[in-house]
Amino acid sequence: MLGVFLLTLRELRAKWIVVGLFVVATLIWATMALALQLDVVDGSLAGARLFGQEAEMGPPPEDAEQAPARDDALADSTAAAQAGGEEPGFPFGASLLESVVFGAQAFVAGAAYWVGILLALFATGGLIASLQTRGEIDLLLSKPLSRSAILGGRLAGVAAATLALVTYLIGAVWLVMSLKSGLWNPRFLLAIPVIWSMFLVLYGVVTLVSVWTGSSALSLMVVLALLFASLVLAIPELETQIAAGWRPLVVGLRHALPRFPSVGVQLVPQLATGEPVGALGAFASSLGIGGGLYALAFWRFSRRDF
Amino acid sequence: MLAIQTRGLAKTYPGRPPVVALRPLDLQVEPGELFGLLGPNGAGKTTLVKLLLGIVHPSEGTATLFGTSIRQPEARRTVGFLPENHRFPGYLTARQTLSLFARMAGHDDSRTDRLLDRVRLADAADRKVKTFSKGMMQRLGIAQALMSDPRLVFLDEPTDGVDPVGRREIRDLLLELAAEGVTLFLNSHLLSEIERVCTRVAILKEGELVRDGTVASLTETGRAWRLRSTPIAAPVADALGATLLPAPGGPTGDLAGYTLHADDRRALNDALDHLRTHGVEVESVEPLRQSLEDLFVEVVSAPGASSD
Repeated sequence: MLGVFLLTLRELRAKWIVVGLFVVATLIWATMALALQLDVVDGSLAGARLFGQEAEMGPPPEDAEQAPARDDALADSTAAAQAGGEEPGFPFGASLLESVVFGAQAFVAGAAYWVGILLALFATGGLIASLQTRGEIDLLLSKPLSRSAILGGRLAGVAAATLALVTYLIGAVWLVMSLKSGLWNPRFLLAIPVIWSMFLVLYGVVTLVSVWTGSSALSLMVVLALLFASLVLAIPELETQIAAGWRPLVVGLRHALPRFPSVGVQLVPQLATGEPVGALGAFASSLGIGGGLYALAFWRFSRRDF
Repeated sequence: MLAIQTRGLAKTYPGRPPVVALRPLDLQVEPGELFGLLGPNGAGKTTLVKLLLGIVHPSEGTATLFGTSIRQPEARRTVGFLPENHRFPGYLTARQTLSLFARMAGHDDSRTDRLLDRVRLADAADRKVKTFSKGMMQRLGIAQALMSDPRLVFLDEPTDGVDPVGRREIRDLLLELAAEGVTLFLNSHLLSEIERVCTRVAILKEGELVRDGTVASLTETGRAWRLRSTPIAAPVADALGATLLPAPGGPTGDLAGYTLHADDRRALNDALDHLRTHGVEVESVEPLRQSLEDLFVEVVSAPGASSD
């Protein structure tokens, strides 16, 4: 299995599109590092500019001993505002700085979710079909490896590479923003496993279709169709807008398909902005569907003639 | 313990209509044997190899490699395989390719340099595989098949695309392996290659085994011998109890060649006694054989045939 895993990593490295994704990730965090300008007065953060825009700071702590951890302060202030029924003044935090920083993090997490996952799917989508190419699969199957080890090694390679990519992007952005602003929001890092898991769920579709048909193009088309369908199904008014006869189908499909939009619209931004987390059910059901897709793919791969 | 044993091994590909690729096959290959598999396109040769290597699942029957069922990956622990039209990742060097495939076979890569040297690729060890010619790819494929120090090697068209010099080198390499006791299972369209390398041959036709035996026994025509002797006078030949025909080419020096047809060994010896009695000096007598190619054409053209 290790051999197939290493072969997959080498193949990914040989595909410049994966290297390109790492370059794009570097550009994103480097841009943020350069764009966020901080004014420090007497060791305290007095002001900030993001892309040249002034950010208003909340009152600085009176002394170092009274300064709580920033994320605690954020949670307390948000909770207090909510308990008192006050409308927060800024969309993503108690101050403009928090709003700018957390908003930027939410933007990066959202981009990684909606665009990054698609790019990663295109970059790695052909790997399962290419594994089954005549002349290549014959060589692999003639080794003393079980079929599940061969497919598992390939998937482990894809999973490791994409985890590294997401961790690199989100981790670097989090570190840059936190170091520059002093606002540490470790919950933002939870976006890494969420984004990665949802990528793997969609990759389960690619794997199943590729194993069944041997066509990478068809597998990507099916994923895109599935994403489109899940976007349509996520429209809240859909059930009331369609004929009653179709409602069971809509409800059934909502439960049968990965709930990609729900996780992307709710869970990922919530993790970035420190808001209470919802959509865990959508996330869990998506993971379950992904597990089912992989189980089917492994079953089919073990029974196929090559 | 047999290197290969099949019992009723068969494969039918599902479809409309289903395609019978291999009919129930009983086959035994001894360790150290040089086994050649022949057959026209679509005869089931590749299917048989793929079945034995677990690439295709059998529809019925069983098979073992050195006593281990082909259903278990462990059966392939000491097996090497060179597929037809194999594909190595072009971005790897020859050395990296062998190292990776050795790891997949559960071995270390300590044999890499020795094998690259053995297949004359030592100078290209650190070149990317995508720059290799067909002949180099074929030699790399053979090195890959040998990385696990196999006891049994399956080779599917090993000299395909290789020039005559390279072909001879590959043939010599195979004979070296045979001398080391490695069992070879050779699948080739080049009948002359099979004839030169293999000691035993099987012919598949429409998924069925129609001939199986040693090359010598299969190519023997039976009841015909090649005779070299001093010229035989016509009255002496006419008085023979067997048919004597001049061999093509005419006499060389004081010797002439003949084809002697006799019903059995006793008739042959009677004929030889008759010739010697009449002053004919016999230089050599050997069974007349047909080439493997002649046999192959005869077998695949025949409406039906039976296993020897």
